Amino acid sequence: MTEPDKGEEERELKARLERLSSALDSKRSDSEGSQDKVGSDVVRTGQAMSLGFRVLAEFVSGVAVGSLIGWQLDIWMGTEPFGLIVFLFLGTIAGFWNVYRIAMRTTSR
Amino acid sequence: MAASNAIDPIHQFEVHPLFSHEMSQVSFTNASLFMVIVSLAVTALMVMGTSRSSLVPSRIQAAAEMSYEFVAQTVRGTMGNDGMRFFPLVFSLFMFVVFSNMIGLIPYTFTVTSQIVVTFAFAALVIGTVLLYGIARHGMHFLHLFVPSGVPALLLPFIVMIEIISFLSRPISLSVRLFANMLAGHITLKVFGGFVSMMLATGGAAVALAPLPLAAIVMLTAFELLVAVLQAYVFAILTCVYLNDAIHPGH
Repeated sequence: MTEPDKGEEERELKARLERLSSALDSKRSDSEGSQDKVGSDVVRTGQAMSLGFRVLAEFVSGVAVGSLIGWQLDIWMGTEPFGLIVFLFLGTIAGFWNVYRIAMRTTSR
Repeated sequence: MAASNAIDPIHQFEVHPLFSHEMSQVSFTNASLFMVIVSLAVTALMVMGTSRSSLVPSRIQAAAEMSYEFVAQTVRGTMGNDGMRFFPLVFSLFMFVVFSNMIGLIPYTFTVTSQIVVTFAFAALVIGTVLLYGIARHGMHFLHLFVPSGVPALLLPFIVMIEIISFLSRPISLSVRLFANMLAGHITLKVFGGFVSMMLATGGAAVALAPLPLAAIVMLTAFELLVAVLQAYVFAILTCVYLNDAIHPGH
């Protein structure tokens, strides 16, 4: 084995390594790109659905709590329909208020 | 399972005692068994993940560290550094919910979070913590949470009522959301599974179409995995948002 031969071999090895790593890089970015696209589609649908569920739950629970309070107050104080009417109204507004707060938080971010 | 070939999608949510004591009302049900399994799984992950910590983490160590980092980031992001005192609570809740959601996706298991008793107990714990900590730390000033500034005096009682109802609706929406998501997902999976067996039993052209709901189950299972993690995350982040009211009320 002579000196220049070794240098030649080393250079060749280096060139091969570089080619391999660039090929690997391009392949990796390819697969990552496609995976990201599919993954983010599903994730975006899921996030949108969970936001929708959140809005629904906040609104319904506002109305439910309002009517529950009104119904129970009617039983305690004997003011038959009026407690339910007033608190159902207040609960509906509280539900809208909850939804409004979610909307403000998501747009401000 | 029912004797007929009709599939009952609700059957999976039935709580039945495994062992019970004749004298008392207390019994060890399948729900309690899965709560124990979930707690043991979380403990095992954290103990095994932190016992042999190396610079190049093993898979378990990486999982344990990632879950810590993730929750810590969420807590710091919503409450600031002051909120890290609630980190143990938020982390325990998040890990319990995410593990019970994931374990529940395995066939023949029981999903603890599909019971509203469980999710409501968590939500009540969170709101109770908010109330107790808020009053202990800020005293009467905490009640300013219900009195927004810059409201005309005529409207004030009205607004305060609405704020109180809105506050009371939080535990309900927090618990119902998690419970409803898990319940709906599992029922959907069961119903689609029922379609497959019913179509196979019918015979004829239906047999050829039977793979369609089967393919739908595969997709739904992937979606349920996402929902399981996402709902645990939503539960954790809303816990942080509500606890933030206890730390910094009145804005």
